[in-house]
Amino acid sequence: MSPVTRQRPSRLRELRRAAPFVLPFLLLFVVVYLVPAGYSVVQSFFAVKRSGLGLGGAETVFAGLGNYVRIFQDADFIAALGRVGFIGVVQVPVMLGIALVLALLLDSSVSRGRRFFRIAYFVPYGLPGVIAALVWSFLYAPTLSPITGFFASIGVDLSFVTDGALPFSIANILTWAWTGYNTILIFAALQAIPEETMEAAALDGCSGWKAALLIKVPLIRPALLLTLVFSIIGTAQLYNEPVTMKAVAPNLSSTYTPIMAAVRSLSANDFNYAAAQSVVLGALICVLSVLVFRASARSVT
Amino acid sequence: MLNRNARLTAAAAIAATGLALTGCSGTTGASTSGPVSLTFWGWAAGYEKSVALWNESHPGIQVKYEAITDGGAGGYDKMFTAAKAGTAPCLAQIGYETFASFLAAGLLQDVSEHAAPRRAEFPDWVWGNVGIDGKIFGVPVDTAPMGLFYRSDLFKSAKIEAPKTWEEFRTAAAAVKAADPKSRIMNLPTDPYLYAGFAWQGDAPWFGVSGDAWTVSMNSAANSKVAGYWQGLFDEDLVTSYPAFDAALYTAWNSGEVWAEVGPVWSASLIRDNAAGSAGKWAVAPMPRWDTADSVGNSGGSATAVMKGCANPKEATEFALWMSTDDKSVSNLIKSAAILPASASGLANPALDAPESYYGGQAIYQLFRAESAKVNPNWRWGPVMSTTASALGDGLGKVPAKSATFQDALNGAQTGTVSALQAQGFSVGK
Repeated sequence: MSPVTRQRPSRLRELRRAAPFVLPFLLLFVVVYLVPAGYSVVQSFFAVKRSGLGLGGAETVFAGLGNYVRIFQDADFIAALGRVGFIGVVQVPVMLGIALVLALLLDSSVSRGRRFFRIAYFVPYGLPGVIAALVWSFLYAPTLSPITGFFASIGVDLSFVTDGALPFSIANILTWAWTGYNTILIFAALQAIPEETMEAAALDGCSGWKAALLIKVPLIRPALLLTLVFSIIGTAQLYNEPVTMKAVAPNLSSTYTPIMAAVRSLSANDFNYAAAQSVVLGALICVLSVLVFRASARSVT
Repeated sequence: MLNRNARLTAAAAIAATGLALTGCSGTTGASTSGPVSLTFWGWAAGYEKSVALWNESHPGIQVKYEAITDGGAGGYDKMFTAAKAGTAPCLAQIGYETFASFLAAGLLQDVSEHAAPRRAEFPDWVWGNVGIDGKIFGVPVDTAPMGLFYRSDLFKSAKIEAPKTWEEFRTAAAAVKAADPKSRIMNLPTDPYLYAGFAWQGDAPWFGVSGDAWTVSMNSAANSKVAGYWQGLFDEDLVTSYPAFDAALYTAWNSGEVWAEVGPVWSASLIRDNAAGSAGKWAVAPMPRWDTADSVGNSGGSATAVMKGCANPKEATEFALWMSTDDKSVSNLIKSAAILPASASGLANPALDAPESYYGGQAIYQLFRAESAKVNPNWRWGPVMSTTASALGDGLGKVPAKSATFQDALNGAQTGTVSALQAQGFSVGK
């Protein structure tokens, strides 16, 4: 008991000392994140009621779970969730796999030109997402693409924008844009591994790829987990790439991803439904992130 | 010390957000003394100058113009959001296609008493786009009747006459393909709003009002006829199927692989700006007709709407009427935005008689001036157009890949629209 009571005042003092550093962030976090999120949740329980032609204006009424019931009957929205789910399942492991291999290569003592590659990997991340998507759109456009043109000249009919090819074309843009970012995150974690650890491993006869896989990878678990969660969140929020690609792929539907569907509801002046769609997406991401963290914690013990 | 600092930081942050919040709120209103002040949101080129011209000559009513993003690119979303937050402007540029959506959302103000006395200064069909049941909620600025843009050089050398009916158009389409197997007469209209112009002309309205309920008729027999026509041209491989507004289409216009475009008046600038290489070789003819029905479609055009909550609707209407009819204002709008004015006085503007060098010296706006009187009067836009248009666009986008037909697209849009209307509480009638 006594140590606890003795600790209390010092903790309070610590908090006080930390306050000026934490408060600005906390305030911004509350104002630009928690408040709008809370507002969306509140909005999602209401609905706008019009009558007749709608000329009389609208009144907002409490709708209970009405908007959520609508979501479960909304085939377009459910299809959108399925689509980003599929893209995530295919793309995230591929991207993180590549990122891990590149980071291990960068970290290995035999690698040359480390600085050059570190920057080179990072360049795609520096390009604004929309610009990257525009350039890729050009490479995918059936009539303009030099790639399609090349394959056509050797008699292969190739299209990147058929219904079946679209998820992979989008996944490719994501991989191109984000692999470097994840490489750097993983590389930073690798750099933090104490030299003695690797020396000890080497003394025990574990070196090269074996050491990398058996010693380094388990040690950077937290970083890998972080990149995994970031990637899941990023994929769930897919928007820029498909919207930009719509110009060259009219078969890409206007509710291709959950956020596109929510934006469409917003444009239809259906704010409350858009709020419910956003809340469902947010909740799914939350649950998914928690599950990933938990599953990994369990497998450690 | 630390405590005070923390409080200061907090106070500063709160002050900053407070500033940001007040910065968002627009002024809708009137001041009791001094000149009346009106806020006007728009995006079209030339509006700002027309407002400046008004402000010079009307010291008692000052309009504050705020340029926003193009409506379809987010401007309308901004207006909806502002109206919800109570910070909507007094006046707003709203395209006819979206006008009914604002109307049905209850965001516009009935200004019939101020505008009705000048009803005769505009063609009747235009008023149907800015009101309902004879009531008026805004003032038309411009219209976009459709016409046939074609490569007169290629048509001439292949000895094909500019088609006057859709029957002749089909024959011409086959003749173009016969003359040059690599070429087609036109690109398939898969953009929902462009396609709407063809339905509009074909006396195949999508929406109607029956008593106190909306009716949706995108799957009507008349619509199937128009849809079937384009599906037929596509199935017979007589048209190209590039995405709408795509660089590939512009290249094809330029190189003479696509010989014509049936499009609204603003296609004139679209073709001129994107197919500069074929300057002087294009000409314009009236839109092909359905048999003997002398009516054309319209695809575009916008109005100056008076939004709900505007404290000075009379002055707002007065300004809007002035902008659409005053000689100086209309001349400015024609010059900077190449609009086709909606008002009779605007249509009389001599600037429309100028020959266009890109079109071989043809005075193309004279033709559109005459055609604007022949726009089919039975068309009405619907109350959830963004949903209708994206549902239709999703369907039409699948036509080139042959995974859907025009009819499928219309059926999908019909279902999507009706369910969106019902979800938002509108009455939907038969």
